[in-house]
Amino acid sequence: MTHHDDSLKEKILARIERERLRPRPRWEFVLKNVVFWGLGALAVVFGALAVSAGVFEAANADWRFWEATHDTFWGFFLSAAPILWGVALLLFIAVGYYNIRHTKSGYRYPLSVLALGAVLTSTALGAALYASGVGRTVEEGVGSFPPFYRPILVEERAWWQDPARGALAGQVVSVSTSTSSFTLQDFAGALWRIDTDDLRAPDFAALLPGATVRVVGVPATTTAAFHACFVFPWGAVATFSLPLGGAERTSRQERSEECKGIRPYGALEVLRGD
Amino acid sequence: MPPELTDEAIAREALANQEAFGFLVERYEAKLARYLERLGLSVPEDREDVLQNAFIKAYMNLNSFDPSLSFSSWMYRIAHNEAMSFFRAKRARPSFALGEDGEALFASLADDSADTAAFAEARLSEGQLAKAFVTLPPKYRDALTLRYFEGRSYGEMSDILEVPVGTVSTLIHRAKRALRDALPATFSP
Repeated sequence: MTHHDDSLKEKILARIERERLRPRPRWEFVLKNVVFWGLGALAVVFGALAVSAGVFEAANADWRFWEATHDTFWGFFLSAAPILWGVALLLFIAVGYYNIRHTKSGYRYPLSVLALGAVLTSTALGAALYASGVGRTVEEGVGSFPPFYRPILVEERAWWQDPARGALAGQVVSVSTSTSSFTLQDFAGALWRIDTDDLRAPDFAALLPGATVRVVGVPATTTAAFHACFVFPWGAVATFSLPLGGAERTSRQERSEECKGIRPYGALEVLRGD
Repeated sequence: MPPELTDEAIAREALANQEAFGFLVERYEAKLARYLERLGLSVPEDREDVLQNAFIKAYMNLNSFDPSLSFSSWMYRIAHNEAMSFFRAKRARPSFALGEDGEALFASLADDSADTAAFAEARLSEGQLAKAFVTLPPKYRDALTLRYFEGRSYGEMSDILEVPVGTVSTLIHRAKRALRDALPATFSP
């Protein structure tokens, strides 16, 4: 047995000598470890950017008006939910897990711990990035590349460029002196004369020349003329909630039957606080 | 080389003096040869080739040795990975002769059995156990080998197999269940 031991030892030492083998330098291993940790951390940062863009998309889809722009909530959800950013987050978490798993001590951490840690870190960092305005930059910048995706503000403008279903948005050009109508230039540049018979004080509060508004009205059968039932400000883009309504009601007069007939009437009435 | 020197100290010395590495070879040759045999490397020539490659790889990677591990776990990890590479490259099937090793495994299965006494009284031949053992997926065999044949702790197994400790525990549990299922009906729970 001793002879055999010596024999293997001698064989190995002879091979080391013959092939001039030397231990690989320490820096190679340190560098490899640092690169894997770095790539893992970078994946978490990219995940955070995806979260910030996703929050921006979700916050700006303006879920309150889904009945005015979509037939079903599911249809709206598919258009407005940050699915792309969710998938991107999952992808970056997978990349982060792969890299951290290949660090020197990465095997000690269970998948669940690494995945949860990456999700929480990405979410916290993503919320901070969203709050600092990075979410919009990412959503609009990166989101303009995939052919199957449109940045949410572009998408939302398209939803509100649909007078045939009673949804119209754009800039208020002027309000007639009798306030019986106002002129609106939609996002495509077309001018609309919009009658205001059914509007109330909170609606008029949004009607300032130069302001961007969304108008819910009776589905239009002609071009250039529109009957408004509700007017809402276009809204801010970097907040989670925008208080709407609350203005004192100055008229008890009911809205017309025409307006009561529009599909989102009930929901918008609740939203407005009528 | 003073015999009281730890493996870790000799490994540090071997970085500058390759002769010192020879002492590590002496210390681990028999243990690792037995381990490789337990992993299914039954042909002595194959075993020596794998062993030699494992030691050379260890020497080349001495600077990657993490002092937070035991040198022994690190060395076993390299030998294990070399054995797996050998099986993959040669498309060879491991072969086992459990011998006395089977007793520890059998005792553990008996402890887990609903009727320990009945299980222990039943006669299980070495051949029956080996036959069941060889049907297990490699990861289960590796886990049982380290735990019951090599007597390794879960922490050491985690370092050798490069999986979290929780996964080691799951592997052992599932491996024992799979082994019981593979035994003749008399020994089923």
